[in-house]
Amino acid sequence: MAELTETRSIPVAVRLRPVEWARRHLFGTWYDAALTVVFGGLFVYGAVWLIGFLIRSDFEILRVNLALFMVGAYPRAELWRPAAATVIVAALIGYVAGSASAAAQARAEEAGLPFHRARPKEVVARFWPVLAFIGVVLLLTSTPTPWLVVVSALIAGVVGYLAGRGQPAPVRRFAWVWSVGLVVVAYLVLTGSGIGWDRWGGFHLNLFLTVAGIGLAFPFGLILALGRRSSLPAVRAVSITYIEFIRGVPLITLLLMGIFALGFFLPQQLRPGDVTRVLVAIVLFEAAYVAEVVRGGLQAVPRGQVEAAQALGLSPWKTTRLIVLPQALRATIPAMVGQFISLFKDTTLVVVVGLIDILGASQAANSQPEFLAQGLHEVTLPFVGLAFWVGSYTMSREARRLEKRLGVGER
Amino acid sequence: MTVFADATKAKGEPIIELEGVDKFFGSFQALKDINMKVGRQEVVVVIGPSGSGKSTLIRCINRLEKHDRGRIVVDGVELSDDVKNIQEIRREVGMVFQQFNLFPHLTVLDNITLAPREVRRMPRKEAEELAMRMLERVKIPEQAHKYPGQLSGGQQQRVAIARALAMQPKVMLFDEPTSALDPEMIKEVLDVMVELAESGMTMIVVTHEMGFARAVADRVVFMADGQIVEVGTPEHFFTDPQEERTKLFLSQIL
Ligand SMILES: Nc1ncnc2c1ncn2[C@@H]1O[C@H](COP(=O)(O)OP(=O)(O)O)[C@@H](O)[C@H]1O
Ligand SMILES: [Mg+2]
Repeated sequence: MAELTETRSIPVAVRLRPVEWARRHLFGTWYDAALTVVFGGLFVYGAVWLIGFLIRSDFEILRVNLALFMVGAYPRAELWRPAAATVIVAALIGYVAGSASAAAQARAEEAGLPFHRARPKEVVARFWPVLAFIGVVLLLTSTPTPWLVVVSALIAGVVGYLAGRGQPAPVRRFAWVWSVGLVVVAYLVLTGSGIGWDRWGGFHLNLFLTVAGIGLAFPFGLILALGRRSSLPAVRAVSITYIEFIRGVPLITLLLMGIFALGFFLPQQLRPGDVTRVLVAIVLFEAAYVAEVVRGGLQAVPRGQVEAAQALGLSPWKTTRLIVLPQALRATIPAMVGQFISLFKDTTLVVVVGLIDILGASQAANSQPEFLAQGLHEVTLPFVGLAFWVGSYTMSREARRLEKRLGVGER
Repeated sequence: MTVFADATKAKGEPIIELEGVDKFFGSFQALKDINMKVGRQEVVVVIGPSGSGKSTLIRCINRLEKHDRGRIVVDGVELSDDVKNIQEIRREVGMVFQQFNLFPHLTVLDNITLAPREVRRMPRKEAEELAMRMLERVKIPEQAHKYPGQLSGGQQQRVAIARALAMQPKVMLFDEPTSALDPEMIKEVLDVMVELAESGMTMIVVTHEMGFARAVADRVVFMADGQIVEVGTPEHFFTDPQEERTKLFLSQIL
């Protein structure tokens, strides 16, 4: 049947004039027309409101407090540190992308498949929300420093990418070593002069909590998920109890417990700082959800895969590591990214325990004497929202790409 | 062909022995007092109605299922609960499944080199050379760098055979290797299996392809309700089956 319709409606490339196109697609029937009018009206209203908002509002509060929004209470004399770290991270991202691209090309060539190398235009189209956000930040700057940071970061990203692409294959094999090295360098730069995590803030804190939260919760969650399937009843019981307990408790409760209760259990000198405690709470919380997501992925791997691996003589651990997990984790990409996006947004909950993340910064800015009680939440909250939207939207788009590339759902 | 088979049978030395094997799933008995010996280089075809325990039987030989009573000895090693011992036997016994069970996230080459590298600790280069030889044996060396999903069913099953052969097993088990294939692909897989049999591989094959049985089987085993009902040469089954159930079954599949 599908074939019949296919042969009948051979697509003809007709280029309609705009008026013709609109008549056909927007006003084809009376309800099409009604919907067009209603939604067109709403769209115009929204656009007019947005333009009015942009003209009417005074963005001084953002301009003055840009550093507060970005890095919180990080010592102002040491601002070069987050700046340098940003540049290093940009180089790291470029390097990882370049290495991945080179590896993908090598694989494609080996398999005799075509390889499409991303063009700059496509990269811009892919990451336009991030670039737009950087643009907004630059529009809000009153000093040349952010420009310097952005330009350096862009250059570092490109250089990193070219290095990743151009490195000889034997060097590329250790790409993860170089990457971890860059992370360590960025960390050392950020924490130099004794500025530990506990003095980090602003959007930087949100990003840190997200990345560190993911990085630490992922292996922990993986172990819990495997523990839940263990053949040892004790391991299984511990895993299930943990997962079900944590999933029954709101994150905010754990955050409060991390801040207030952790203090009771630990002696004064061992008591970690606030950010550390919050991070512990986040990791404990997130791991339970990661475990559940991974469990779903593990269940999606057919029994026959394990049997084939066993029949080849692979040990249970190698079967899990080489056969089950790679397939299970691929199958979990959509759910995992969803989980991490919600963690990203949930990091704003640290406001309730008194940390100054980007949301806390917006509160703080609004209580500064010169901006107090002027309804400037109307300006700061959209900015905060924009920052999160850019991050979330980019993550979900990248996840969809990855999903497609790895062929999740097809076997 | 038959001369070849007779010659090997003359050796007589069994590589697989099952003695009084019982297998239960809960209270359901899937195997009842199975006694069977397979000689080196012998080809045994197992037939029988669906649910008669054919898969269970061969899955007990490499411990994908654990038998509950009796003894199973593979190449002089008795199957026990000892993990080392199970792994040792699995290294020597290759298995080909009805659903191929190739690893979809690995290329054909990686599917084949995985076990030699990870289990036999073979260096990558050597493993890849071995894999290419195996792919030539199953006549698809040009597919080495593709993923299983890019291959036809017949090609996938041949890769699965190559993957098992790369461990250089002493015995190959086949569980209905052509049942999931489109008719036009059955022959390419059977051809590979016939060549394998003629090269002297010991094989236990669950299949209803009686042409294959006639061509290479030394013995045919007919199972029903978890029991071995009748054993004989292919000729015996085609011309002179003794049991009523055998006759009934053969009349249905031939
Ligand atoms: N994992 C299992 N759990 C419970 N019953 C099973 C299981 N595997 C097989 N059986 C049962 O054992 C019997 C034999 O199955 P099987 O060996 O697969 O038969 P065959 O391969 O001859 O079709 C069938 O009745 C089947 O339902
Ligand atoms: Mg079966």
